[in-house]
Amino acid sequence: MNNKNISRSLAVFTILVLAMIIAPVATSFPTGVSGVKDSGCNCHGAIPSDTVTPMIEGLPGIYNYSETYAITVSFTGGPTDSGNINQGGFHLWVSYGTIATLDSTVQSFADNEVGHTEAGNDQTSWMVEWTAPANDKNIKFTLTTNSVNGNAGGGAGSSGDEWNRVSGSVSAPVEVIESANPFTVLATLIVVSLVLLFITLTYIFYRTSPDTFDWEKFGPWIVGWITSTDHKKVGTLYLISGLFFLGIGGIMALMIRIQLSVPGNDFLTQDQYNQFFTMHGTTMIFLAAMPLINAVANWIVPLQIGAPDLALPRLNAMSFWLQPVAAILIFTGIFSGGAADTGWTGYAPYIVSETAHSGTTMWVAGQIMLVASSTLTGVNFLTTILVMRAKGMGLMQMPLFTWSIFISNLMLFISIPAFGVGLIQVYLDRVIGTAFYTIEAGGDPLLWSHLFWYFGHPEVYVVIVPAFGVISEVIATSARRSIFGYRSMVYAMAGIGLVSFIVYGHHMFTSGMDPSFRFVMMLTTMLVAVPTGIKIFNWLKTMHGGSLVYRTHTLWALGFLLTFSLGGISGMFFPSIAMDLHLHETYFVVAHFHYVFVGGTVFGIFTALYYWFPKMTGKMLDERLGTLHFLTAFVSYNGLFWPMHRLGVVGMARRHHTYFISGEDVLGSLPAEFADWNLFISINAFLFFLSTFFLVANIIISLVRGQDAPPDPWGGWSFEWMTDSPPPTPSFPLDNLPVLRDANEHVANEPSKLGIWFNRLMVADEEVSN
Amino acid sequence: MTVTSLLFFDLWDEFMLWSILVGVFTFGWLYHHSVTYRSKDGEELPNVDEIEVGVFPKENDDLRLEVAWTILPFILIVYLTYISWAPIDSVWTSTEGGAHGYECEAGYYSNNVMDSENGFVTSDCYHILEVTGKQWAWTFECNPDVEVTDRTYELSNDICDTGTYQVEGYGMQPSVSLKAGETYLLVMESEDVTHSPWFIELGVKEDVLNGQKTTMWLPITSIGEGLILCTEYCGDAHSLMAGVLITHD
Repeated sequence: MNNKNISRSLAVFTILVLAMIIAPVATSFPTGVSGVKDSGCNCHGAIPSDTVTPMIEGLPGIYNYSETYAITVSFTGGPTDSGNINQGGFHLWVSYGTIATLDSTVQSFADNEVGHTEAGNDQTSWMVEWTAPANDKNIKFTLTTNSVNGNAGGGAGSSGDEWNRVSGSVSAPVEVIESANPFTVLATLIVVSLVLLFITLTYIFYRTSPDTFDWEKFGPWIVGWITSTDHKKVGTLYLISGLFFLGIGGIMALMIRIQLSVPGNDFLTQDQYNQFFTMHGTTMIFLAAMPLINAVANWIVPLQIGAPDLALPRLNAMSFWLQPVAAILIFTGIFSGGAADTGWTGYAPYIVSETAHSGTTMWVAGQIMLVASSTLTGVNFLTTILVMRAKGMGLMQMPLFTWSIFISNLMLFISIPAFGVGLIQVYLDRVIGTAFYTIEAGGDPLLWSHLFWYFGHPEVYVVIVPAFGVISEVIATSARRSIFGYRSMVYAMAGIGLVSFIVYGHHMFTSGMDPSFRFVMMLTTMLVAVPTGIKIFNWLKTMHGGSLVYRTHTLWALGFLLTFSLGGISGMFFPSIAMDLHLHETYFVVAHFHYVFVGGTVFGIFTALYYWFPKMTGKMLDERLGTLHFLTAFVSYNGLFWPMHRLGVVGMARRHHTYFISGEDVLGSLPAEFADWNLFISINAFLFFLSTFFLVANIIISLVRGQDAPPDPWGGWSFEWMTDSPPPTPSFPLDNLPVLRDANEHVANEPSKLGIWFNRLMVADEEVSN
Repeated sequence: MTVTSLLFFDLWDEFMLWSILVGVFTFGWLYHHSVTYRSKDGEELPNVDEIEVGVFPKENDDLRLEVAWTILPFILIVYLTYISWAPIDSVWTSTEGGAHGYECEAGYYSNNVMDSENGFVTSDCYHILEVTGKQWAWTFECNPDVEVTDRTYELSNDICDTGTYQVEGYGMQPSVSLKAGETYLLVMESEDVTHSPWFIELGVKEDVLNGQKTTMWLPITSIGEGLILCTEYCGDAHSLMAGVLITHD
């Protein structure tokens, strides 16, 4: 890597940083001073001038509720004094309360915003009335005045004019302690996380060769990672970005829980709350769960099938690098004060309406990139798994984790175009004014819902099926048994994949779609329980007669069985339409999908991390810290999500920024015990978040002074345990690829029916060599 | 504030029963196996199926068992589907001669009859009531124009009346006052984005769309006051977009 490339990378990085800094300027702060640009009083020059002195008179030190005060605004100095008497203008903004005009020299722009009129521009002082709010607020006034030289009529415009700004403040009758702006908190935490990440990376760089440490090698080292196409390095990048965004999504969840911990809270305003739950969902699903799954898949799939790398390594790197760029786009809104506020489902027509924030456009743009990323990943993994398996490994000899990645990528590959189409329509609607979702122009209000859920439901299986694969591997290895019913496991996963495309309507039982369609969806949704049940019973039967070794990953896998089964059972309540009419959009739904997303996907990813970490790094993780992580996380996790079931049934709706408890039998009040439950949930949310630091600490400690890992620490059978820990690059030598033997000789010699069918689709080897 | 929907709780109880049975079975099994079959000799072996790196392990299956836990859950879900079936009728019965008959002529009453076993309500005829959603308020209209209903008389205030109601936390909200024993068909539309009124106590909701009318049955069987919340995300003031349902004798 030469210096030219380093400077090029630095230039690209600088441009990205500049883009992020400029982004907040691109959109005006929604609660800020409108009509007057932050950079100045827009028609009278860009820079304020010291010679102009604006004044606000008549402000009380402390206001009385709802009282009206007469206020005089005026200015001295500037060109007005030097022979241009009475030429000037002003703009006054107040954070709370209303400003009323008294005469024709002043006009109102909004309740809290006034300025001079045409008739009032020959004065240096104006009178207005301010009515204080009826509650306790810290009031801030901002006054901008122009001192004008009067040459505008002569064609000189605003040249020579000067202006300045002053602010005033009024205190509430009861002192208000300003709470931090949640967005400032979030943005600070994101920056802090980035700094911590950078420090960690630097430290890891130092640890790679402490004896020959040299800063000049840092550039090439980091560029080596950024430009790598090795499946293991890209997998690590996925892992780092996935864990990073899991943390960011977690911080957002904590802020949501702070808001909901007491009834009637105002830590987050409605507007902020809407952005928080939107960003939380989007971050967790698209920027945390999917990359974490891709991390494990990138690392393990080529190793498991005995391939030196993925089929299309450059495409793989591109799939990854689309993600951070998409993340920057999606997060742009947070730093410009108007993040997407549409919910992760982004229902039309709200998403194209004027009330949706400007950040929504950036959100849609980022999602389009993620669609591209997922599509490329799908192409890559399907190709790799179909054509790069080692000799002797038919489709029905593939390890179950590879099967799960194959099926989930197939589902994703088929379903995500629908989402992409919807996103592009919405993007065009928002940006260039097409009318896909404009109802007046004949747009269909349900089109988006159909497109989204046609993708959205397979998507939730896309993130859970790989967890099935992980659990299959871990349960079998830990119990020292071959998995019970390998074939039915594969067929069950394929069944889930197939059924996932015909059940999406259960998200839309209340949406006003055709009743007969709802009925069909009820039947198909109920069916999902069958293959899922087969998998759970097969896992349980695998343990039968085995010799279960309790390691951290075993604990996580058993925990998964418990939490995922609970999530599966609660899922059975939704297809029953008459119940869904009540449960839809309540906390029962929130409880259910967190039980399957966290108790399923995240627990599955943690299992995979503890299971394959020695293979990835060559270092063993600490079992005691791992057990501590499992116990704290498992208990706090259940404390966090279990009570939500009850909240939903009794009447707490999701996506509502607060709830009220105002007494027994008072209309609109939840039962008094719900205050306790919500506080309990919030405390557990913090505990669950903190428990993850055991994992982080474990990883860091093990990297620094962990025991060296043997090639096969747990006693698994698949190819990844044949290579060294960590594996070399390429993962298997090209001239000596492994060959799978089969303990069941009769099966190995006859290709499966599915294998024959797929082989027909493939180009024969002879034709390629010709 | 309690949920009083018999239709909901009837199904709920049945599903809870089966959830608990399935849960006890599965978790009992999980607990038993994870205790009984734990490795007693520490880390090392016995390697039951002689698992070896690079060798696809010996098959471990039993077709009868696998078929059993395909068929049995299937039978269970067929049963659960069957019991979920009947209530659908009450949710989507036809507006023309279904369980709620036809739209009431002047002076006629619904005379609701509730099957106390499953909460299924049948009635002689129904009244049409218009609901409009907009950001961020509900509007109830007892006497909508001809687009919505073709009745030629106005409903008396006894059967349908609208007003406002001060709800703690939510402020002044629109209310609709309906008569117990009557069945109403809500014909709903939105002026802007999608909304969804959730009649919490009755346990029903249905989306309100722009450009497309949706309908919902509201058989009133008890008296009291209930909150209506918006449960389809609609923007800024979504969580405070409420309404009040008052039912009287």
